[in-house]
Amino acid sequence: MQFWIVQTLNSIAFGGLLFLLSSGFSLAFGLMRIPNLAHGGFFMLGAYFGATITYYGGNFWIAVLGSGLGVGLIGIVFERFILRRLAGNVQGQVLVTLGVSFIIADLCLMIWTGDPWTVPAPSELRPPIRLGGFAFPTFRLVVLGIALVIAVALYVLMDRTRLGAMIRAGVDDMEMARGVGIPVSLLFTVVFCLGAVLAGLGGTLGAPMLNAYPGLDADMLPLALIVVILGGAGSLLGAFVGSFVVGFLYNFGIALFPDLAYFILFLPMVLVLVFMPQGLFGRVPS
Amino acid sequence: MTRSFVALLVVAAALIAVPFVVVNEFYLNLASQILIYALLAVSLNLLVGYGGLVSLGHASFLGLTAYAATLLYNWGAGQVGAAIGAVVFSTLAGGLFGLLALRATGIGFLMITLALGQIVWGIAYRANNLTGGDNGLRYPARPHPFGLDIAGAPQFYWFTLAVFAIALFVIWRLTRSPFGAALQGARDQPRRMRMLGHNVWLIQWFAFVLASFWGSIAGLLYVYYNLFISPHAISLQQSAEVLLMAILGGATSFTGPIVGAVIITLVKNVVSSYVDRWNSLLGVIFVVVILFMPYGIVPGVRQLWARMRKPAKPAERAA
Amino acid sequence: MSTPALEVSSLKKRFGGLPATRDVSLSVMPGERRLIIGPNGAGKTTLFNLITGDLTPDAGSVRLFGRELLQIPTQQRVHLGLARTYQILTLFPKETLCHNVVLALLGLDPMRWNVWTMLSAKRHLYDAAREALALVGLGASADRTVAETSYGERRRLEMAMALAQKPKVLLLDEPLAGLSQEERQQVRDLLGRVPRDVTIVMIEHDMDSALAFAERITLLHYGEVIVEGTRAEVVADPRTKEVYLGE
Repeated sequence: MQFWIVQTLNSIAFGGLLFLLSSGFSLAFGLMRIPNLAHGGFFMLGAYFGATITYYGGNFWIAVLGSGLGVGLIGIVFERFILRRLAGNVQGQVLVTLGVSFIIADLCLMIWTGDPWTVPAPSELRPPIRLGGFAFPTFRLVVLGIALVIAVALYVLMDRTRLGAMIRAGVDDMEMARGVGIPVSLLFTVVFCLGAVLAGLGGTLGAPMLNAYPGLDADMLPLALIVVILGGAGSLLGAFVGSFVVGFLYNFGIALFPDLAYFILFLPMVLVLVFMPQGLFGRVPS
Repeated sequence: MTRSFVALLVVAAALIAVPFVVVNEFYLNLASQILIYALLAVSLNLLVGYGGLVSLGHASFLGLTAYAATLLYNWGAGQVGAAIGAVVFSTLAGGLFGLLALRATGIGFLMITLALGQIVWGIAYRANNLTGGDNGLRYPARPHPFGLDIAGAPQFYWFTLAVFAIALFVIWRLTRSPFGAALQGARDQPRRMRMLGHNVWLIQWFAFVLASFWGSIAGLLYVYYNLFISPHAISLQQSAEVLLMAILGGATSFTGPIVGAVIITLVKNVVSSYVDRWNSLLGVIFVVVILFMPYGIVPGVRQLWARMRKPAKPAERAA
Repeated sequence: MSTPALEVSSLKKRFGGLPATRDVSLSVMPGERRLIIGPNGAGKTTLFNLITGDLTPDAGSVRLFGRELLQIPTQQRVHLGLARTYQILTLFPKETLCHNVVLALLGLDPMRWNVWTMLSAKRHLYDAAREALALVGLGASADRTVAETSYGERRRLEMAMALAQKPKVLLLDEPLAGLSQEERQQVRDLLGRVPRDVTIVMIEHDMDSALAFAERITLLHYGEVIVEGTRAEVVADPRTKEVYLGE
């Protein structure tokens, strides 16, 4: 019984992490029409930044904020100096994010070496919460809580602010949005940077659960892809629901069928892409 | 005897002469490697350059063939049986992947091929009992095509060169055939082609199958060369490398991918001997090429060549 | 009563909330020269797209010589004898005019699946292509690339490609648009020379330039047929003036 409860909680907490990872990815995909293949790398960078800051004695929460800012900065630079030069060439942009993902992965390997870096959860959150005879991992509940707070904040941003309205307009109809004078390139930079910040935050928040290791990017990116494909690009609600669905699928899948881990991830993705491609990619029916 | 035919003969003679000039086995093996990747890149370019379909999963055909050949051979199929079975298996997979991937175009196609490539990689990585997982599988011995022994580096090089030459000739004929024209037409104006009676989906699916077939041949050469296959050979990085070879050399030309394969393979081998940062360099080259040389080297050089010859004409007339 | 070459029945199409085609029916007899006119946004090109299969109708049917086209994909409709030119040119810009027509000829030729023979060796295809180009007055430019030709020449190339397929029903989408007076006359003469076994349906925005061509005229407005009849009838009809003056 404890197994199921623990797995369920892990899944929910993981879902919260996935939301931090995929919400930004989804917004960028919906608005800019590019899947940022370096997004897993952003998450991993966040984990490594967090690991380094805590290693040198920094407070965990400072590490979280620091990683968010650090990765956000990298995101801005990448968008401004590379992606923007390829405006209009969606395919080129995607390939360039692929190239950058290789660079990030290799540089991380070089700087932080091949051994995993552990990040201890903040000490005050280590004792478990005891309820009804069961022990609940406090830290994971806090991560979930933070993810929920950010989800609400993003919802407010998207639904109640002018910026959010502009983003939604851009996702719906780019041509129209340009036509009404929405500053599209600025929007791109903002959204991309936001995604990077969230990925960075998520990386550090997740580090006590996942560690920082080479290959973290390759493990996380497909999850973000699946969440967006299931939930729809540019949809915050879709990213929210999708994150928890994938969180459950992944956690229980790994726990019950470790050998089929890749299948469990990619097969649904292929199936959705194949049977419902119109929502995202639209091939003109002939 | 046209000028290009003579040039071709010269190149062919030079290639055949390589083992006599390059005595060092390491470099001779490198030459064989280059031929294998050049074939893989040319096969991908059927899709990318001629078909306008960018695939990020092409290395999976190399891997599927290599794994299938090894497994079939170990299960007693013999060299010929293993080779034929593996290529058939991999090409059938190509047919299936094509069916799935062509449900979308552009980025959708890219994503589906990426996902499919990752599934193949994932199976190779995880199904330990079947594929040996991360440890890979060993292919026991090189075959004896027509009774010839290709265990030695020069012999293997000539064998690879022969297969490469035949494959290249057949693919070249394809690009110049009616089908090749239709494929390029479908790349440029799919709607128009439909309205002219061409079945664009079928054309592109057929090209996908052909690309996977020739990629499978490269896979056979690969497993004969290395006598080993592991998941690394079908990683996303490998698919990205092959794509880069096609783009760097020039996807719009026939020889572009060959040039790309030469450059990337040489750089990779040279760099890897000194420093462990090939992945970073691959990423940097990717970004640089996409930003500054999206049409690749061969078309760029051709343009330069054409521009250099033009100024001569007015002078000739004056003289 | 012979079978109409092209019969459209109660065709409807909406785009989101916008009805582009509202219950359009028309019947074109074999050999007829039909002109479809109407102001911008009347739904003329949409109608063509529904006939060719580029769009699927919400309701209604399209019949080619009695054969229902609805489930048949575009490329197969071409094999049944349908051909079309486009309003916005969709040619192959880096290829020669000859090659463009060859692609059109290949569309109906089983040879298009051949992966081995050298296309350049197929002299009969290239000869047929040159003939088709000569018919539209582009014989001398056969070996120039599309990028090197003028707009008027490209329009004629479109027509050469369509005519080369010897279609039974030819749909022309604004073939005179953007042409000089002289070029328009060339195209009108060309159309006059097309044999009667080809049924022609032409969309034109400017009624005056196409008037001489038309035997019967269908006037569309806001996706509906307003007036239909012989040239004289439609010209005299007060509703025609209303539609055009109301612009």
